[in-house]
Amino acid sequence: MGMTAIARWNGKTWKKISKGAAPYLLVLPVVLYYAAFWLRPVITSVIASFTGAAGQFTLENFALVFHEEHFIAAVKNTTIIVIFSVTLEFFGALFLALLIDRKFRGSDLFLFLAMIPMALPAAAAGAMWTTGLTAHGWMNSLLGYLGILAEGEKIYWLVGSDAKLLTTLIVIDAWQVIPSVMIILLAGLQNIQEEVKEAGYVFGGDYFHVLRKITLPLLKPTITTAIILRLISAIQIWLIIVFLFGFSRLPVLLERVVYYTKEVRGLYVAGQMAAGYTLVVAAVVSLAALVYLQVSGAFKREEEQLT
Amino acid sequence: MKKTKKKPVNIAKAAKTTIFYIFVVGVMVALLLPIYFIISLSFLSTREAYTYPLPLVPALKTQFKLEQGKRGYLLSVYDRVEGDYESVLDTAEPEKMQVYLKSQLATPMTMEDIEQQIARLETEDVIYFTRRRNLLGNYQTFFGVAGFKAVPALIRSLQICAMTIIISLSIGGMAGYAFARYAFKGKDLLKFSTLFVRMFPGVAIAIPMIKILVGLNFYDKPIGLSLVYSIGNIALTVWITASIFMGIPESLEEAAQVFGGSKARAFLRITLPLALPGLAAAAMYSFLGAWNETVSAIILTQFNPTFSVIVYQTVLGAVGQVNLAAAGGMAMAIPAVIFTFFIRRYIRQMWGGVTI
Repeated sequence: MGMTAIARWNGKTWKKISKGAAPYLLVLPVVLYYAAFWLRPVITSVIASFTGAAGQFTLENFALVFHEEHFIAAVKNTTIIVIFSVTLEFFGALFLALLIDRKFRGSDLFLFLAMIPMALPAAAAGAMWTTGLTAHGWMNSLLGYLGILAEGEKIYWLVGSDAKLLTTLIVIDAWQVIPSVMIILLAGLQNIQEEVKEAGYVFGGDYFHVLRKITLPLLKPTITTAIILRLISAIQIWLIIVFLFGFSRLPVLLERVVYYTKEVRGLYVAGQMAAGYTLVVAAVVSLAALVYLQVSGAFKREEEQLT
Repeated sequence: MKKTKKKPVNIAKAAKTTIFYIFVVGVMVALLLPIYFIISLSFLSTREAYTYPLPLVPALKTQFKLEQGKRGYLLSVYDRVEGDYESVLDTAEPEKMQVYLKSQLATPMTMEDIEQQIARLETEDVIYFTRRRNLLGNYQTFFGVAGFKAVPALIRSLQICAMTIIISLSIGGMAGYAFARYAFKGKDLLKFSTLFVRMFPGVAIAIPMIKILVGLNFYDKPIGLSLVYSIGNIALTVWITASIFMGIPESLEEAAQVFGGSKARAFLRITLPLALPGLAAAAMYSFLGAWNETVSAIILTQFNPTFSVIVYQTVLGAVGQVNLAAAGGMAMAIPAVIFTFFIRRYIRQMWGGVTI
């Protein structure tokens, strides 16, 4: 078959099938890919969570998880982290996005610099904070130079009460995550037409008035998107925690999965524990996402768009 | 009258602008301070890295004091923070001194040089001298310690990144185009797929993935990891590319078709070139995702680790060598900075189109 034949075939047939089948043909590779490389491991993993040591169907794994010594703490810590870090990160990101959207001289450079933390690899971020927050680290050194800490005085960032460690963690996590939330919000802000905002100013609104009455309502779908993506990742936080505090000091749900997968070897319940915890994490994430989408009205908007 | 009226306005405006910029710079400093410190730390000598408080800027040279000691020659180093010389080594062997100078002070000196300085002690009680520091010492040690493993791992990581980009951009880009141009059943499902895929922890997928990859004979090979990394990246690419294609008016394609081109040709000639910069930005996202990932890489490699695994191991292995850990982390962060520099122009194109 020559090239012209293909071209002719394309020209005639493509038009016919383009309306009906084309989108499905274009989407098909994604579906196949996910069936092979996502759904398969997920199903394996879900089956494992219902399988006992002897290979029988059981709910024992979940009983093991619920009675695990760190389970209550893991649920509690995860909840606290999610609530506070998503809130802090959202407002921090919104603040930065609004600032950059003002398009002042140098805002391009500002954007570039503000995005750097999100691009840092976990190993680099881990190295940064573990070297920074030890008693002799750069954080205390800096506070000493600034005169905030008296000579010989030190703040022990990485030891102490749970509340203190959680605060440290939430601030550090926010530092790295805010840029990725910010760019989504910034894209949404840049999509809002200037004329709409100008109309608000013409009718006598000041900056905050326009922000509250025009900008934020128009930004709502973007806000929902940014928060849902963040919510899903926030529940799955673990690596930075292990970098900072090691395993089991500040247990969270996914950290338990990794702990029982990688750290505990030879213990026969470890596999069951990991499988059980995995499903708990997935269930919590899905539930939280569904609830959030319902409450934020994303499903309703969907229907409106369709009708 | 006019002039006096104009002036106060300008002053007020200038004051406002100044306050605004002070504020902006303040925010920037707070954001970048941790990065500044890790960079600074990566240039410190081992001795400096363990002084407290840490020096704010790495020294470019080291000032020495040499005198007769109890055991041999007493070497002292000028401490910038304390503002005084501190004794660091007392030895009769110049070889030991050379090793110490290189490993602890990052100030390499030739044996000849050291012996010359020692010879000066015959006529003088105390001698002072200054030598240039090797600022890149930690980086050299990092690549030296990680040794011959670091370079193949680097190549492997780049291969993985390239394959991840190809897989994500081709598969995800097709779906993204469908999303932008057609109305079809299941469109919303596609939109939510980015969320679905993220709901199941990646670590938990990596474990059953071992079996699948072994079955395909892809285990411990770059292609295996790129298949895993593409899972999350495809979903993200669908969103980003859909956004990009939405930003290119369909009327352009239609116009091309009016002039006799097929739809496929209109896409190749009109839409694709226009979308190219945005697609490149989407590719950078995939690159970064694959480059930074460590945990799946640890689980899914055995003898052929990625660069991120090498860095991770060196960082963890170098506990008590904070300056080395810093150098390793920074070596890995360089592509990240290039990434942010590049994508900042395409934020609206990438994230502006699709919302939940």
